[in-house]
Amino acid sequence: MGSQEHLTDLQTLVQPTRVHRSVYTDPDIFALEMERIWGRAWIYVGHESQVPSAGSFITTEIGLDPVLMVRDDDDNIRVLFNRCRHKGAKLSARCVGKTDYFRCPYHGWTYRNNGELRGVPAREGYPETGFNAGDHGLVALAQVDNIRGFVFATKSPSSPDLRTYLGDAAATLENIADRAPAGKVEIAGGRLRYRHPCNWKMFIENLNDAMHPMIAHSSVGMAALSYMKSQPEGTSYPREAEILFPFGSSYDFFDQMGVTGLANGHGYMGGTSSIHTAYSDIPGYWEAMVSSYGEIRTQEILSSNRHNTIFYPSFTAKDAIQAIRVARPRSVNETIIETYHFKLVGAPEEMLERTILYSRLINSSSGMVGPDDLDCYARMQEALCSSGSDWVDLSRYAQQDNQENGNVTGSGTSDLAARNQFSAWSKLMATSD
Amino acid sequence: MPPPDLAQIERLLYDEADCLDRADLDSWFELYTEDSDYWMPVSPDQNDPHRHISLFYDNRLMMEIRRRNFGHEYAASMEYPIRCSHIISNIRIVSADDNSSECRVTSNFQAIVYYKDQNVYAGKYTHDLVCRGGTYRIKHKRVDLINCDAEQGNLVIYL
Repeated sequence: MGSQEHLTDLQTLVQPTRVHRSVYTDPDIFALEMERIWGRAWIYVGHESQVPSAGSFITTEIGLDPVLMVRDDDDNIRVLFNRCRHKGAKLSARCVGKTDYFRCPYHGWTYRNNGELRGVPAREGYPETGFNAGDHGLVALAQVDNIRGFVFATKSPSSPDLRTYLGDAAATLENIADRAPAGKVEIAGGRLRYRHPCNWKMFIENLNDAMHPMIAHSSVGMAALSYMKSQPEGTSYPREAEILFPFGSSYDFFDQMGVTGLANGHGYMGGTSSIHTAYSDIPGYWEAMVSSYGEIRTQEILSSNRHNTIFYPSFTAKDAIQAIRVARPRSVNETIIETYHFKLVGAPEEMLERTILYSRLINSSSGMVGPDDLDCYARMQEALCSSGSDWVDLSRYAQQDNQENGNVTGSGTSDLAARNQFSAWSKLMATSD
Repeated sequence: MPPPDLAQIERLLYDEADCLDRADLDSWFELYTEDSDYWMPVSPDQNDPHRHISLFYDNRLMMEIRRRNFGHEYAASMEYPIRCSHIISNIRIVSADDNSSECRVTSNFQAIVYYKDQNVYAGKYTHDLVCRGGTYRIKHKRVDLINCDAEQGNLVIYL
């Protein structure tokens, strides 16, 4: 299908309570998403603690574009296309590093860590060509900003500023940092990269889908319960069980938790309660918080409990767990899900251990939860490519959405979050620049 | 004291591989001690399973839960045949205590896992073994994949 044809099609593909299967399966729609959604939205790049000193850098992608996040000699964090201005080779193939300058391995053009072109071998070969080194620096992303160290960038110069774009979703990032007695977090504990054979939207939608845990994750709860029953009566529940059991919570539990849709496709479940609320305390943490913030403010910080906050379209965060999962789309049917963990500066190390345990049990390739989610996405991806029925249903509790101050709220098991995401999707996809 | 019995240790490693080849986690589990763990790091040279994420790090409790979940009719990821073929080689006893009741054994492995697709894994095993009553059991196993830090799909069975 040509691009013009899509413009008319898109109006019919996404309807208020159903979407056409092709939004998940059509490579042309994926290409248009890369341009109009991933090319305009603020996309999560990384955390500033990943580039702690001048010359530190990481490489990642914004949509399909390779980028560098680098701290320059003046302490600015830059997000630059990872692409030599000469023949276009990717400059750095390393995931992480530290360098005074970037050197293209092909013809040796070099760039300062702020992106300026530093040197071209045998430069005398450009007489009277109009070649001007000043015009050949690495291209910077149009806008770069951060919230409490979480760095975002957008390719679009006309996108609203980051705070405006995120709205109340930003409060989740504030809360993650506030949960540190020192008021800041640092990346820690390594990362996971998990290959998902599915469209990126399936992963993002699932994070605010509360109708699936009771079904897709029931076996894990049963296995954990069966083990606990094999133990002598009175055996206390280990932390592993504390993490796994809530995944089998009832529909009522998730309904009570509630779901909130925000502008631009963002949203979250819970708010004051979630599947993480009942975790037991970690010794020394409360005391460390109170000594930094006082009791009232500590109470207030820890009472925020958003189950999964969606930062549409690129990542999801758990405030009470201090872990985020980032979607890096590769193609219409392949997405890499990266998990990153954060250490609460000033908190007992045991907090990080719980974050890691949670992530291993839930987010890892061998986890007790993620593999079943992945398999369901893979089944959808496979079967939605077939004909038969063309529509994916999003109508649960569609008539009970509450509109409040530009947000939409509803019972936790509503399809509201997916509808809200597609509403943002339609707006971005409908117009060309 | 005589050095650890390499032939006996090889038999244990082959028995373990055979359990995994048949995807028989209940029998596999019997080869491990009550205080055992199983670790597959996500980074080369990773030295901490607690403050650094891993692909697998199961204590005895998680082994118990995993084997109960394995093949569960309500788990979407378990609705496929799982058949494996493990080849173990280069088996070496790298250390042993004075009375040979505990020893560390390293080996190379290649495992083909048929799970939806044919998947190839390769790397190094480190087994910490304890000998009680003349029989060795596994107290700790570390699996270092050569591509541990690569993107991974579902890992539904121990390697």
